[in-house]
Amino acid sequence: MLWFKAWLETRWRFGLIVGMILLAWLAPLWLRSFHLRLPPGVAASRIWLGVHLGSLIIYVYSAIFLAGSGINSQTTYGATSGFHGSMLFTLSLPVSRRRLLFVRAGLGAIQTSVLVAIMVGYTLLQRPESTSALQALVFLTRSIVCTMAIYASSVLLACLLDEMWQIMAGFMCWIAVLALGFKFNAVSRISPLRGMSLISYPIAAPMPWTPLAASLVFAGVLLCGSVLVLQRKEF
Amino acid sequence: MNDTIIATHRLSKTYSGHPALRGLDLAVPCGSIYGFLGRNGAGKTTTMKLLLGMLRPDAGEIRLFGEAIESEASSIAARRRLAFVSEDKELYNFMTVGQTIRFTRPFFPAWRRDLEEKYLDLFRLPREKAVPKLSKGMRTQLMLLLAMARGAELLIMDEPTGGLDPAMTEEILLALADLAASDRTTVFFSSHQLAEVEQICDNVCIIDEGQVVIDGQLDDLKSQYRRILLVFDGQPPRELAALPGIDHLRQRGRTASLLAHVDVDKLLDRARELGARSVEVHPVTLKELFLDHVRGE
Repeated sequence: MLWFKAWLETRWRFGLIVGMILLAWLAPLWLRSFHLRLPPGVAASRIWLGVHLGSLIIYVYSAIFLAGSGINSQTTYGATSGFHGSMLFTLSLPVSRRRLLFVRAGLGAIQTSVLVAIMVGYTLLQRPESTSALQALVFLTRSIVCTMAIYASSVLLACLLDEMWQIMAGFMCWIAVLALGFKFNAVSRISPLRGMSLISYPIAAPMPWTPLAASLVFAGVLLCGSVLVLQRKEF
Repeated sequence: MNDTIIATHRLSKTYSGHPALRGLDLAVPCGSIYGFLGRNGAGKTTTMKLLLGMLRPDAGEIRLFGEAIESEASSIAARRRLAFVSEDKELYNFMTVGQTIRFTRPFFPAWRRDLEEKYLDLFRLPREKAVPKLSKGMRTQLMLLLAMARGAELLIMDEPTGGLDPAMTEEILLALADLAASDRTTVFFSSHQLAEVEQICDNVCIIDEGQVVIDGQLDDLKSQYRRILLVFDGQPPRELAALPGIDHLRQRGRTASLLAHVDVDKLLDRARELGARSVEVHPVTLKELFLDHVRGE
């Protein structure tokens, strides 16, 4: 039943992001109704690249937003400071903290993966050139794996901070990773943000193993860290 | 069968250098309604959180149902047999009454559907009603339902009647008394409402600054303690404070008020020898016991 709780807890977040994606999909139709046209000379491939970059923002947003509201962050904004009282009810149940975390983080990871898959599908459908099934699979795999590194970092932050700070700190961390990637090659090589980008690794490129492996290691370490934090935490 | 359901030995807990519990020794008898009293910040909630494994003790031992709580596994095993009602009575705001019951049920194999139905009817809780739309009293009732239907042997409640109107308070207290009487469930609860504690508790423990100051059966405590009012011709003599069996002494002008727990007749004889002109002996209330022991005089 922890899955049931996790679903009820996150379904509005999930629905909200699906709504955002739908809005993004409908935007061209909406713009057309205003008789807006793209400036002449703008290549379709550049527009598509814009769609891709927009979708990357949705990956990051989903990963950060869906990791919140777990065992640690059931705060009602403005109503109380710190933890929401229902967390004490959760902690009084005969369940280990590790299981609580795994179920909540597991469901969020599945939801994030579904959203990434939807965006990958949309991105590839908008692509002017055709995409092979293998290319699509490679792109989907690397998008999900790299997003999981961002997701795991958000789970760790959710174990440490209230929800509002978790979301803000999540964005700050990944903006910092992006900035450091521009400055230092070593960061760029292993950055999950690079691994999911079609600018760094075009659709026809083989699987980018380095950022993928780094993302997996990063996600694993951060999840283990989250378990340790939660098991030591006092409520 | 172990007749102590909660036992703590020299339990200590410190928050950032500030001691919350300082060697707390508790022994809660099975089947009792045990009032756990103390001022704000005395360590009541900390004790409950330690019992539930939400906090870790700095030192000391906790035993629940006769088993030492030393690991997460032992805490989980104990939590299968108990229920907790927190002070704010918060449940999941994203669930209805029915969903909350459906969520809680699978964690407790001994869940009793008959009791679930009984208390839904008794408390007039509609299954489809969303938790945020329940009043605080109804949330307390829902938490009690969750506790009773799971067949909990121990109910730990942090100020169960806080913020409730008198009618709802009475309903909750009756339910608690019924629970203890019919199912031999032990109720361990903290409260600031001393009249309620006096109404339903058979045992009380008063803690102050993280230590037990009074512990025992309520009737025994009331029969052991007496309030003695002495009037002297002048200032009460200093020797009064040194008399054996005096727990607290307050002086105002020519009058001294004593809380005593020994052979009162002997004490009165000594007081007369010290010059007491007028002597009155009164039984004590729980409120007097509480105030005299936690006022810090």
